[in-house]
Amino acid sequence: MKAGLEVHQQLAVGKLFCACPAELTETVTDSFARSLRAAGGESGTVDVAAALQASRGLLYRYEAGPSSCLVEMDEEPPHPLNEEALDTALTLALLLHAHPVDEVEVMRKIVVDGSNTTGFQRTALIAVDGELELGGRRYSIPTICLEEDAARKIRESPGEVTYRLDRLGIPLVEVATGPEIVSGQEAREVAEEIGALLRATKRARRGIGTVREDVNVSIEGGHRIEVKGVQELRMIQEYVEREAARQKLLLEVRDELRRRNAGVPPVDPLDVTELFRAIVSGPFSGAGRGGQVVLALGLTGFAGLLRSPPRSEERLGRELADQARSVGLRGLVHSDELPAYGVSEAIVAALRDRLSSGEMDAFVLVTDHTRERARAALNRVARRARAAVEGIPGETRDPLPDGRTRYSRPLPGRDRMYPETDIPPIAIRADRLDRLRAQLPERPAELEARLARSHGIPIEVVQQIVYGDLLEPFEQLASRGHAPGLVARLLTQDLPAVPRAGPDAPLFEPSLDTLSAMLAAIEAGRLAKEGVPSILAALASGASTVEVAIERAGLSGFSRDDLVSLIRRVVQANSAMVRTRGDAAFSPLMGDVMREVRGRRDGQEISETLRAEIARVRAESGS
Amino acid sequence: MNGQADHDAWVELSDLPTGQRVELSNSQGQHWTGTVVPRHDFSGDRVLQLKLESGYNIGVHIEPTFRFRLLGPVGAGAAPPTRPAARAATDGGDPWIALLTTGGTIASRVDYETGGVRPVKEEREILDFFPELESSGRVRIVPVFDRLSEDLVPDDWRVLAEKVVATFAAGARGVVVAHGTDTLGFTAAALSFLLVDLPGPVVLVGAQRSPDRPSSDGSSNLRAAVEVAHDSRIGEVVVVMHGGPSDDRFAIHRGTWVRKMHSSRRDAFRSRNGAPLGVVEGGKVLLHLPVRPPSKGPARMDGPIDTHAALLWFYPGLAPERASRFVEGCRGVVLAGTGLGHVGADHLPWIRAATERGVVVAMTTQCLEGNVEPYVYSTGRELLRAGVLYLGDLLPETAYAKMLWALGHAPDAAGVGRLLTQDRAGEYHDRHDSRDTA
Repeated sequence: MKAGLEVHQQLAVGKLFCACPAELTETVTDSFARSLRAAGGESGTVDVAAALQASRGLLYRYEAGPSSCLVEMDEEPPHPLNEEALDTALTLALLLHAHPVDEVEVMRKIVVDGSNTTGFQRTALIAVDGELELGGRRYSIPTICLEEDAARKIRESPGEVTYRLDRLGIPLVEVATGPEIVSGQEAREVAEEIGALLRATKRARRGIGTVREDVNVSIEGGHRIEVKGVQELRMIQEYVEREAARQKLLLEVRDELRRRNAGVPPVDPLDVTELFRAIVSGPFSGAGRGGQVVLALGLTGFAGLLRSPPRSEERLGRELADQARSVGLRGLVHSDELPAYGVSEAIVAALRDRLSSGEMDAFVLVTDHTRERARAALNRVARRARAAVEGIPGETRDPLPDGRTRYSRPLPGRDRMYPETDIPPIAIRADRLDRLRAQLPERPAELEARLARSHGIPIEVVQQIVYGDLLEPFEQLASRGHAPGLVARLLTQDLPAVPRAGPDAPLFEPSLDTLSAMLAAIEAGRLAKEGVPSILAALASGASTVEVAIERAGLSGFSRDDLVSLIRRVVQANSAMVRTRGDAAFSPLMGDVMREVRGRRDGQEISETLRAEIARVRAESGS
Repeated sequence: MNGQADHDAWVELSDLPTGQRVELSNSQGQHWTGTVVPRHDFSGDRVLQLKLESGYNIGVHIEPTFRFRLLGPVGAGAAPPTRPAARAATDGGDPWIALLTTGGTIASRVDYETGGVRPVKEEREILDFFPELESSGRVRIVPVFDRLSEDLVPDDWRVLAEKVVATFAAGARGVVVAHGTDTLGFTAAALSFLLVDLPGPVVLVGAQRSPDRPSSDGSSNLRAAVEVAHDSRIGEVVVVMHGGPSDDRFAIHRGTWVRKMHSSRRDAFRSRNGAPLGVVEGGKVLLHLPVRPPSKGPARMDGPIDTHAALLWFYPGLAPERASRFVEGCRGVVLAGTGLGHVGADHLPWIRAATERGVVVAMTTQCLEGNVEPYVYSTGRELLRAGVLYLGDLLPETAYAKMLWALGHAPDAAGVGRLLTQDRAGEYHDRHDSRDTA
């Protein structure tokens, strides 16, 4: 297997071509509507009329907010390229040993989906031929680019797409690797390392959606597939592995299809609506109630190959169903899953008869209100089924939350780019690079070593801080004088362990001041570190301050004297066991005491006090 | 490989034709493979621009020690555009619209191999680009000039007016004039005064965004302009451009009322001192104010114009001697004064001297809206006594265009003055509605 990554990271330096802040907003102050002519200027062979037809009637609505400007509305020429963004991209290039170009030329890359008000994305190649070293392996970094992010799609309805301008123009640094990644795990590690390098510049924007990865995967004998727009880094490994498994299955299916001389007969789909009129429930009940047609397509030699083989979750049937979905249908039903969905053996037999479909043959069924749409779906299904006999068609796929991917569209052709003449070329001079070299940020490995050394924290914990994007809160809290070990544990263990109030509850993100107050309470002896989980839980469910949380968690008001009397009581109540078991009584009694104390006193203090009491009692009783 | 030790690679590299594929390397072993593209105006010295395989352009600074190798034949580049099929001759009876072009680009093709943008000039190619233009009738394209609008001079207005007249005479039912936006307002005002007995609309139109972009407003503006040009209720000169940031509404402005009020917005053109005449919305022409109706014709150009005139913007620090020298040789001067039509008192002497010499001095406001009024303040009264004519709510640019026309139609200051103050083409508003805002 071979995989390559393209990491897109938003920068927090203001927008790339205007002075607006890079802020997403839910406030819409205004909106306007535009149509874009896709044939904005194709050379030579493009059929202008066809392109016009394609763009005709599609309206793009753009929502402006409190920080939208005329540049984003395409009512004003772009301002000069954001110098801080360029410095950041160049810094990254230096960290990756890449060669900055002598002169940066900003390009217009035509986009056809309305996500830029100008009809193109401004993008520039900043550096080439870099290299990432990780775990003794080398990965090539062929290109580092700087470009503007697109407007945010808000909703879509027939004939109209609405975008919001808030995200348009936020700078993106794009780092592309060569296809040297050979496993899902490696893909995740490389993505994490690139992410850590980007964060090392201290200019990376934080939060959901600020990093997006595109992953290219191909296996031997297969074809490059692009999984576009992965937002959760931790899922990269799964996407890569499942995609490799999917491709492996498709190659096995291809081999079997070839053995069987399988194919798709070049006939029109058959209208079989009348066979379904008696069905009263399920996806085909529309044929009965009237208004929906059912069309069938025969697939010669495909029997048994549409469903998943044993021990696999991948199947060709899903690829065919996704083709149907790509024109707007809910899916399709194939013969490998029948009888089902109200389609009886009798109907299946009748269908086989109509389609002259034998034992080794399969068929698919689609249903829709519109005959044209059903036919269009089956045309795509037929094309995909034919491609299955060839192998794996190249395509772009969308990542799904469960780790699967779904067909999105064909692989893009070569990008249509031409110079952005509103922005003059930018010379990258030696003195600029010297200045950036002199203030190069620490690489993650250097950073980890330094943190482990200076704070005395184990390297594994430091790695969690650096790669878990916790460096800033860690440094801020450590700089306020809190013990680094405590801070590290709080950020890497206690906070992630706070249970969510519900699947849709907002993430618990306490402020640094709150965390600092809690750490201060521990340092002042008002709270034991064992009580942290309870305090966090109380804060997460609405306690307004740490003091209130301490009250609510029932962790206040347990003094040293209280502890001593409790321990006396417990040891007293278990004096027989203490006499007979001696020091071995410590363990069970510690459990009893801890249950009572419930995190209100420090564990070490409890254990020392208990041991001392046990020793005292034994000494007194002479045992 | 080319490039001997004492040979400067730049000499040959800078001479390579666009489209030549080349492989370069420097003394540190870095290489580049790409296609030579046209040099950018603002590129640095000794920088070669290459389009890489990815499509990105970069600039490579060429040291003398660079080596290079030519690859393959000069790029086939774009296939020549397919010739559009010949257009059938116009049927005799069908009403047709003329599209006069004065320069700038209506449509262009981008060659992604080189990044070059080629203007599309041929009638058939343009109409293939905008097939929707002929949805209400045929369009014939008539080139008049090929100049940027900031390079046009008043004599060009006269030439354009003559062409409009000839076009109506040839049977057009309406005339669209594609024009650069910078001086479009001037031309519109001038044509309003020069053209009489129009049997149909004369519609000026432009584009604020270049035509190579998918977002260009040119095509939708043009379509709206053609709709207006078909409208049989209109017999005057108007400007049609976007009425807001959306592509679904276009304002129809009287040629003497309109001014470009923003350097880049699609809706830069605004009617001053009142609302536009109407809008084009949903493909329909909606008129909100009375328009000058068509005449039975024939259209006529009412020349000549006299260009011995000046437009002078007053400002603190303008020395009277400088102003006086500026208007030497002029028969007429339009002042863009401050507020209600004022200039500094130290300018009164040269103004008085000019009017006594027979120079027509007329006043407008640089506020670009509102009337000029001589009676309200003493400065105005002084200027009135000095012989200055106050021209109501005319824009400075419109007054200038009218001055050129008036100077060509009366031999003396009094005659010119009468022509200036008398409404000729609906250029004056007799009232300013309370609901109208800028």
